[in-house]
Amino acid sequence: MNHIESTSDAVPQVHMLGRVMRRLKPMVLGAAGTVFLASCASNAPQDTWVPKGPNAQKIDSLQKPVFAVAGIIGVIVAVVVTYSVIKFRDRGQPIPKQSHGNPALEITLTIIPALILAVVGVFTFRTVFDLNKTSDTQMIINVTGQQWWWEYDYPANNEYGITQPIITSGQLVIPVGTKVMLRQTSRDVIHSYWIPALNGKRDAVPGRITINRLEADEPGIYAGQCTEFCGLSHANMRMEAVALSKEDFAKWVSNQLKTYAAPAENTLAKEGETVFLNQCTRCHQVNGLTRADGTPVIAAPDENVWSGAAPNLSHLMSRNTFAGAMFNLVTPECRTDVWKSESLTFGAKYLAGVDEPCLNQTDLRGWLRNAPAMKPMYANPALLAATGGKYRGMPNLGLSESDIEKLVAYLLTLK
Amino acid sequence: MAIIERPVSLEVQPLIVVAPATPSSAMGAVKRPVVTKGWRQWVFTVDHKKLGLMYMATAMFFFLVGGIEAVLIRLQLALPDGKILNADLYNQMFTMHATTMVFLFVMPMAAGFANYFIPLQIGARDVAFPRINAFGFWALLFGGLFINLSWFLGGAADGGWFMYAPNSGPIFSPSHGVDFWTFGLQIAGIASLTGAINLIVTVLNMRAPGMKLMRMPIFTWMILVVQFLLAFAVPVITVALFLLSFQRNFGATFFDVAAGADPLLWQHLFWIFGHPEVYILILPSFGIISEVLPVFSRKPLFGYPFVVFSGAAIGFVGWGVWAHHMFASGLGPVSVAVFSISTMAIAVPTGVKIVNWTLTLWGGKLWFTTAMKFSIGLIVLFTIGGLSGVTHAVAPSDTQQTDTYYIVAHFHYVLFGGAVLGLFSGFYYWWPKMFGKMLNEKLGTWNFWFMVVGMNLTFGPMHILGLQGQPRRMYQWTENRAGEGFFNLGFWNLIASIGSLVLVVGVFLFLVNIYITARNGKVAPLDPWGARSLEWMTSNPPKEHNFDSIPTVHHLDEFFHRKYAEDANGQMQQVATAEQVLKQLEDNADAHIHMPSPSYWPIILAFGLPVTCLGLIYSIPLAIFGGLIILMGTFGWALEPSTAPDSDFDPPSSGDTSKDVVHVG
Amino acid sequence: MWFTLDNLATAHDTHEGAAHSSTGLSNVKLGMWLFLGTECLLFGGLISTYMLYRGRVGTGPRPSQVFDIPFTSVSSFVLLMSSLTMVLAVSAAHKRDDRSTNLWLVITALLGTTFVGGQVYEFTAFYNEGMGFSTSLFSSSFFVLTGFHGVHVTVGIIMLLALRGMLKNNKVPGSRSETVEMIGLYWHFVDIVWIIIFTLIYLIPA
Repeated sequence: MNHIESTSDAVPQVHMLGRVMRRLKPMVLGAAGTVFLASCASNAPQDTWVPKGPNAQKIDSLQKPVFAVAGIIGVIVAVVVTYSVIKFRDRGQPIPKQSHGNPALEITLTIIPALILAVVGVFTFRTVFDLNKTSDTQMIINVTGQQWWWEYDYPANNEYGITQPIITSGQLVIPVGTKVMLRQTSRDVIHSYWIPALNGKRDAVPGRITINRLEADEPGIYAGQCTEFCGLSHANMRMEAVALSKEDFAKWVSNQLKTYAAPAENTLAKEGETVFLNQCTRCHQVNGLTRADGTPVIAAPDENVWSGAAPNLSHLMSRNTFAGAMFNLVTPECRTDVWKSESLTFGAKYLAGVDEPCLNQTDLRGWLRNAPAMKPMYANPALLAATGGKYRGMPNLGLSESDIEKLVAYLLTLK
Repeated sequence: MAIIERPVSLEVQPLIVVAPATPSSAMGAVKRPVVTKGWRQWVFTVDHKKLGLMYMATAMFFFLVGGIEAVLIRLQLALPDGKILNADLYNQMFTMHATTMVFLFVMPMAAGFANYFIPLQIGARDVAFPRINAFGFWALLFGGLFINLSWFLGGAADGGWFMYAPNSGPIFSPSHGVDFWTFGLQIAGIASLTGAINLIVTVLNMRAPGMKLMRMPIFTWMILVVQFLLAFAVPVITVALFLLSFQRNFGATFFDVAAGADPLLWQHLFWIFGHPEVYILILPSFGIISEVLPVFSRKPLFGYPFVVFSGAAIGFVGWGVWAHHMFASGLGPVSVAVFSISTMAIAVPTGVKIVNWTLTLWGGKLWFTTAMKFSIGLIVLFTIGGLSGVTHAVAPSDTQQTDTYYIVAHFHYVLFGGAVLGLFSGFYYWWPKMFGKMLNEKLGTWNFWFMVVGMNLTFGPMHILGLQGQPRRMYQWTENRAGEGFFNLGFWNLIASIGSLVLVVGVFLFLVNIYITARNGKVAPLDPWGARSLEWMTSNPPKEHNFDSIPTVHHLDEFFHRKYAEDANGQMQQVATAEQVLKQLEDNADAHIHMPSPSYWPIILAFGLPVTCLGLIYSIPLAIFGGLIILMGTFGWALEPSTAPDSDFDPPSSGDTSKDVVHVG
Repeated sequence: MWFTLDNLATAHDTHEGAAHSSTGLSNVKLGMWLFLGTECLLFGGLISTYMLYRGRVGTGPRPSQVFDIPFTSVSSFVLLMSSLTMVLAVSAAHKRDDRSTNLWLVITALLGTTFVGGQVYEFTAFYNEGMGFSTSLFSSSFFVLTGFHGVHVTVGIIMLLALRGMLKNNKVPGSRSETVEMIGLYWHFVDIVWIIIFTLIYLIPA
């Protein structure tokens, strides 16, 4: 902001000038202000100028100078135009000589930007190939987009103690300082995976696998959002990448691999398990859940949902979000507590999961009561001719308040 | 339109124009339309000036429609969790806002200017194919109305203007909106294609004697480049739209991944069209301000050949950059790097233009009319858009910026700060030429400042929003992701929404200005601006036949050089007034000028198109009926000569040999 | 479809412009060349789509299972011959020999009709062998590409016959020989496109 003021002080106040400056103000703000933008700390969680990992850092070190050069050129053009507008206005001078140009000047002014761009081009070239390197990958996670949530599938990986695949959603959990490769695809339309603090975006294209790389320097939660328009609830398809220290990550893995613990008999939660079995397991898997006769429950989302998948709810309470990260599973106070905690204490807080006092009862109950009312989805049974009766999103299950009460109690046991 | 009879003898006052006669019989299946008054003179006209005005009026109508859509979008996003539109309606709104502004406002508005001024600028009396010209206009109008019809028939298209597959498929977009969109664009595409062929032939073939290519006005040059881009880009989107229609309406699986299709096929086809399209939108305005800046700087365009060649270079390189819209889609690093470099390369000719405009101002004698203000505004604002474009030509940095509001900011600076300001500059500059009245300059100044301030308030904050990570095409934004500092999304979203209202006031002032000018505007003098090119070497508004005699061109800026000459000291001195120059042309007036005659067939043929398309969506018999209309129109057209033969005119051109007759077309 | 409608209109519009053109080409001729240029892009897009999808047969038949190359070669030859007769029609028109012009136009139209007839037969045969329009990506893109070409030939035939009728009744607006030449240009273009399509689809194996 200082920049603008000092400019207007420096130039003598001619009548035209006021107008010119008014026009230039947003211009200067747009161009030179970008420099200002960089220096100013800001806390929008998806800020693209605050890299928190080496991939984003590479992009950042490439783009900041480009912004600066662009800003400078913008200011030069604005100043020259302003100067011409003031200096050459009609003061009754004779009609100027009808000169048709100056080829030498033209060529010079063509070559200079070409050279600048050539330099930018060289660095761009290097960074493009650098960012596409995959040979040093340490960990692979399969990421699958569907309307309107992401599924994360951790293939077995002995090095990280992942003895059997982990399937989760809502939050992508990665170890700090690890070069993670995301193998992305989609089950319906094109989505795009983007955690600005960790890397640029990469589309998830159905029928293809695209590669994205993430690495976080510090433990913490990094926000992101789907950036390829993917239909009705595109705005609500969010993601959060959670980076944990290596030890904490190991704890997270062992929690995810923990076997299912059925709620104790004669509790509300046990009744909730029955509701869950009747209502939810058509689509949602909870690993290890068995029916009363002891047979394992295998959810069949492919029969009910167009994309053929619904979030796996095993260990739901180890996550902070639900419904495609649209809603927080924790209350705003608890959320702030986790998000704002120092990187040293962050891991422990995150791994504590969600307990009853922290549970965001309002949104969770609202969701169970009538999901399509909380998130636009194609879940009206009368309007599913195009998809052969399959839903895109979660329908209204028509649960009674007591069923919701029981379900909430049950879900709280899915630690 | 008519035959224009003039007294041959020079003793008789040459200024008297004898009333035009229209043909009274026809060779076609039915008699030609003969009425030259009321609505019929518009509906059946083939006159390039009338069609130009109709193009502009249509485009202005759709500008207001698209503007209303834009304001609704901004109102929805003014506050977190906006409730004005639901998600479905919002998706339709931004799809139609872009579709309307690109295909139904900027393109037809440029087509309107081109139609009106190209023949005038090159010293022709009409375009090469006047009836095709009329057909193009009607196809555009019907196509535009057809797309918008979907609002009333179950909802508009909701896949974004880029309509990426598979989200545009029958499963993910079950309403008929996308069908209307595809067919409507197909119809509008016909208009673009016929218009392109027509204008290219006109420019290449019908220039006044002496007007070499390098003496053509720069607006004509830019339009020529645009028409070549259209001629080769439109067929590509035609293919893409056909594939989509076949999938949605006839069971093909071109973009159905389950059947093994590759959704990236659509992206490639769309952007091979879509990137040249960007230059199709911006180059006409570059042409307009390259006319306006020299006139009000009182000196020629600096480096005319550089501007011409840079325009042509943009036209060529514009074909090699399409994949920069797909940097995030998972192309290999080689493609990404190559397209990144080619995209930077296209910044060079664009920069050349900015340099030349600035140097045109340099050393001039600047007159700040409203037209000039809009042009200067374009230089500065377009430069911002161009520079932000360079920041995402850098592919890695684009992966942070693409599909965020930063891109929205970028292309609105290019398209609003560039294309729209250029078009408004054109309105103020050429209004006296088109209507014989001066738009109010004082109101024009208000119009300019409201639009410039409004546009910066609206689109300026979007740079911040985008860099702060707000994605595009979101029907709501949430406080959770808004942040708290100076750059919090809430504040800047609100500013952008307020800005859009300022913009609305600006556009409203323009409409008021039109109204006031029409009611009691100042009558325009013959040469109100001290202009330089041929379109000013005729009356305001121009006569039906444009020029009494076709001028022979000796210079770039012919009109200026007929008015001014260098004196012994090398100073430019006026040697003739515009009136004198015009008088000279009148004295050599052609005796008989046969203008192309009006016709029923263009509108009939064009009307068959939406009927057929409606039939393809709803019922095949209707499509067959539409096909019959098209067939009838084609045959009626084919059997009718475009200019009625001399014997058709009533009164007949008695006693003259046909040698004296100047045919136009 | 609409390209050809436009084309018919182009061929018949404002012949007079020829006299004063800056390029020396008449307006109609220049317009036709430009139109054919745009057609190149149209077929380019369709051919690219076909080349991308030619191997994606899903559960449907593979190209080698349905194509009858000798048959299609004969019908291609017929179409090529029609270009020759078209040349003869144009040259007769330039000589103002109305009888020969009429004759060659009719023969050209007949050859064209034979080709289209062959295509209809071929399509029917494919359909009976289990390759419908929506069977696979290969079949859809095959039918769209060859279908578009077939429509172009059909429109060409209609133009030829309409032209003959107009010549006979003396209803051709403007220069007769130039009108014949315009339709000839279109006809040759459609033939050349077929040579490319035939080579890519039938001769080069997927």
